[in-house]
Amino acid sequence: MRGAELLGLPVVGPGGEQLGKVLDVRLVQDGPLLGAYAALRVEGLIVGNRPTASRLGYDRFDGQFDVRGPWLLAVCVRYLTRHTRYLPWEEAELSAGTVRSRVGNLPTVPKIA
Amino acid sequence: MTGRTRDLALHLLDRQVVDPDGHAVGRVDDVELLVPEDGSPPYVVAMLTGPQALGPRLGGPLGRWVVFWSHVLSRGSEEGPGRIGMELVTDFGADIGISRTRLELGVHPNEDRARDYLIGRLPGARGARR
Repeated sequence: MRGAELLGLPVVGPGGEQLGKVLDVRLVQDGPLLGAYAALRVEGLIVGNRPTASRLGYDRFDGQFDVRGPWLLAVCVRYLTRHTRYLPWEEAELSAGTVRSRVGNLPTVPKIA
Repeated sequence: MTGRTRDLALHLLDRQVVDPDGHAVGRVDDVELLVPEDGSPPYVVAMLTGPQALGPRLGGPLGRWVVFWSHVLSRGSEEGPGRIGMELVTDFGADIGISRTRLELGVHPNEDRARDYLIGRLPGARGARR
């Protein structure tokens, strides 16, 4: 399976409602040891409707609604990413080119640790 | 080092991979995920580089065009994209450092052929040859 296959997949909730598309894949470095590093394990999916705004990454480092920096930038990032949410991998189910979430209310995107 | 989080598109895709001599090996065009049979979450086992990894990611006519020409230039070889195992990674930073050289890996056969048979024969291109 290729990682980029996940990007852009539509995400639907338990009732079939549209939640957005997969904008990114959150990886955590706690998998089996591969060489000098632990493997990057898939922890969850970042789901939203604005790939370009999310691709800049401003919403990841300080938390989605705690962006530091010039207030104008923070306001813009908060507005553009207001619908971006985080889908933990254990709540996701891949089927026929769609990601189905087992929960309807998704949490905000946790900041990168 | 364990427990650090990274995002695939933000931290891995399109990053430059450099060998121990500081030479560019290629960019991370995609990653290979291993899905364990026990149902646990998948994890990254390799970085994929080259047009055969980039084409499917681009999708559409442009992606098919990239894969087609890569196939033609590799003389119909059925080889897949260049694969760099994650066990070779020595450094995660702005660039991704690996422990093998580009020539050892041979992940870009078309570029290697072009360098040997075309670029390396141009006057003043002595440094281009292996």
